[in-house]
Amino acid sequence: MVRNLGWHPVASWTWDAQDETCGICRMAFDGCCPDCKFPGDDCPLIWGACNHAFHLHCILKWVNSQTPQPHCPMCRREWQFKG
Amino acid sequence: MLDLSRVQKELVDCNRDKSSGVSIDLVGDQLSHLAGTISGPIGTPYEGGVFRIDIRLPDGYPFEPPKMQFVTKVWHPNISSQNGAICLDILKDQWSPALTLKTALLSLQALLSAPEPDDPQDAVVAQQYLRDYPTFLGTARYWTEAFARRVSIGTEEKVQKLVEMGFPEALVRTTLENAGGDENMALEKLCSG
Ligand SMILES: [Zn+2]
Ligand SMILES: [Zn+2]
Ligand SMILES: [Zn+2]
Repeated sequence: MVRNLGWHPVASWTWDAQDETCGICRMAFDGCCPDCKFPGDDCPLIWGACNHAFHLHCILKWVNSQTPQPHCPMCRREWQFKG
Repeated sequence: MLDLSRVQKELVDCNRDKSSGVSIDLVGDQLSHLAGTISGPIGTPYEGGVFRIDIRLPDGYPFEPPKMQFVTKVWHPNISSQNGAICLDILKDQWSPALTLKTALLSLQALLSAPEPDDPQDAVVAQQYLRDYPTFLGTARYWTEAFARRVSIGTEEKVQKLVEMGFPEALVRTTLENAGGDENMALEKLCSG
């Protein structure tokens, strides 16, 4: 399998407005994730130790799908919730 | 559940950027089945070719990687010459939900520029690449010429147009073929039943 194909850090691949949007669902941070349809639903943001932010609901889905060690979708460092 | 709003955004985002050399189209009315196109990188035996990629989005997308496969036949060590299967890490265990269909297609384009014969998907092609590079180049160029010329994409567009008018796809293809690719002649024949 071809690996590390001149690997670009994921961050350089991302969309124009990456600072205001969740890197997982692409919805704006001032809105909610696709699972929370209604504005006003409790859809908090959460930061990783690497300082990348996501909707809590989005990063939980990703972390739960990754075994044994989840990585940050943006920078691939080990994902740890910022304490 | 497939994140439809994200997929829709991805399509808009990808097709807005005409300079990238990759694009994504809907195949039917399902967002889970898409068709990507990649233009062959300049300075490679794939130059001048347009390669079509079948894209299937699993329900878990973007938490699971998209399934991609070359529809256009291509002679490349890391792509099966038999069925177009691709072995690329970001489409498997190195997938990240921060990647997009566009970045995956761009990675495939990069793979066309930089084959990895030591890690082959197609052993026959890889052997040829390593042992007889000039023949590899010749074959790869020939396959591009024979299977990936822009003309065949034009045909796909014509097929799509006629299908959208309400004719069944199989009938459209044979009629278009019989009409020598002439869209108007094919339409006349289709309408006259
Ligand atoms: Zn999100
Ligand atoms: Zn939410
Ligand atoms: Zn990070």
